[in-house]
Amino acid sequence: MSKIKFLFLISVLVITFSVSLFLGPRIINPFELNGTDKEILLMIRLPRVIVATLMGMALGASGAVLQGILRNPLADPYILGISSGSALAATLGLLSGMYMFSNFSIPLTAFIGASIVSILVGLFGWKKGGLWPGRLLLAGIGLSFLFYAILMLIISISANEVTRRALLWIFGDLSIAEWSLIPYGFLFILAGLYICISRAKALNALMLGDDFAHSLGFSVHRERLLLFASVAIMTSASVSLGGTIGFIGLIIPHIVRFLAGADNKKLIPLSALCGGAFLCIADMIGRTIMSPAEIPSGIITAIIGSPYFLYLLRKKDVLST
Amino acid sequence: MFSVHNYPILELNNVSFSYERGNNFIYNLNFSAGNGEFIGFLGANGSGKSTILKLASGILKPSHGEIKLWGKSLQNYSNKDRAKLLCYLPQLLDINVPFTVRELVKMGLYPYDIPPLMTIEEAIALVGLQEKSESYITTLSGGERRRVFIAMILVQGAGLLLLDEPLANLDIKYQIELLRLLRELKEKKNISILMALHDINIALHFEKVLLIKDGTMLGMGNPETVLTGNLLSKAFDVNIEIRKHDSGRSYVSYEDTN
Repeated sequence: MSKIKFLFLISVLVITFSVSLFLGPRIINPFELNGTDKEILLMIRLPRVIVATLMGMALGASGAVLQGILRNPLADPYILGISSGSALAATLGLLSGMYMFSNFSIPLTAFIGASIVSILVGLFGWKKGGLWPGRLLLAGIGLSFLFYAILMLIISISANEVTRRALLWIFGDLSIAEWSLIPYGFLFILAGLYICISRAKALNALMLGDDFAHSLGFSVHRERLLLFASVAIMTSASVSLGGTIGFIGLIIPHIVRFLAGADNKKLIPLSALCGGAFLCIADMIGRTIMSPAEIPSGIITAIIGSPYFLYLLRKKDVLST
Repeated sequence: MFSVHNYPILELNNVSFSYERGNNFIYNLNFSAGNGEFIGFLGANGSGKSTILKLASGILKPSHGEIKLWGKSLQNYSNKDRAKLLCYLPQLLDINVPFTVRELVKMGLYPYDIPPLMTIEEAIALVGLQEKSESYITTLSGGERRRVFIAMILVQGAGLLLLDEPLANLDIKYQIELLRLLRELKEKKNISILMALHDINIALHFEKVLLIKDGTMLGMGNPETVLTGNLLSKAFDVNIEIRKHDSGRSYVSYEDTN
């Protein structure tokens, strides 16, 4: 992909970001801002659009990395059980009444839950001094089922308010976005992006197989551990910002691969950019078309993205990992 | 004193290896490969050919013994430095990632901060894939895929190539093409090549052959001395004879004992 195309994509993200700020249930004219507009813009729209961008970037990049290290086109950031772990932790936090103490408490609990699950998956996936793709995948699926079972058990026996809040967490809810969380989310997601973009060559080599990666001068287990850590950091941060939003981590990397190729030096940053822009648009549509009711962003991302993905699948003759 | 040609760039000294504790798969192996040599590893399925190549490339670690690359223990090289001297090509190339030919060949530059002499275009031209440089690897034939990976390891610039059954699953035409290409490279670039084989007829035309059975070496040397009916029968558990055409070329003949 040429620099011009890359700059074009950056421009699309910036435009999407700006449009998302001003469009919504109330259309704001940036040139004629009154007091209410300013308050909506600064206290509601801006944090929400930033959170959508950050989450989309984290999920797009994580999906690309995970499909590479697991060498599995069906991998998405939640396959490692991170969503179920964070949702369970958040629900336990809600049940214990922690949400009454501070706005931080539930996102923090979700982040801790996601981190614990990542470490558990890593431990189960570890054998003979390294992480093995097949073991990681199976550990993620196994733990996912276990945590979801516990979560469903808790929801089925708990009060309505806790159930409602827990469900919002499970299906993703960007309306909980607020300023206080953004610096932490930004820091973690930026750190994860930096790690995986700086290891893009190693990921290319790992996609050819461990023996190839070794032959090309990479320490296979060290590289896989670093990449896994970057996914765990980004996904945990994303979940703590606005719950679990499906589709982006699975499909965006495939769409980018169709358009720009499989080289991870391009694929990871482009998946991040497209993921960010896409979630911004999806969230803007979700909060606008049935206002004052909101449609969860995950539903919008699937409704817009799936037909385009299927169209590409028919048009292009390459199916990719 | 060694001549430059015979300098042992790879040495395996008393190397043993086991996949399961206490059960040696490779036992007390000793051999060396000189600069510019073209050596075929011959043995039946499961004899240990691939394991020896993986040991020599550092993918597997020996349980006993030492492996030296250019006189220095293989374990003492950093990953990047080793990759500049030694390159391993696995047997299975079932890669379904849509990298283009150019992207794949470029990966040969990964061990380097400053690119070595051979350019990506030169390497692609050497394996005759100029017109397919922007094609996806997933759209190429088995023979073309092998050539792409040969171009990649050429860009990598290592002086020692360890190739695990590069002729497997290739039509006879592609086998001949690939062998010719490797011989040319050996002559032009003085590259040393160690190649696992299972076809005795092809091994008969190598300069040097190493015959393996159950992880031990039955013989090493030129095919006339190593590939005898007696040793081959032992290696493959089939009655094998080496015969000669009127032209003087040797060929293998076997007897179905069932």
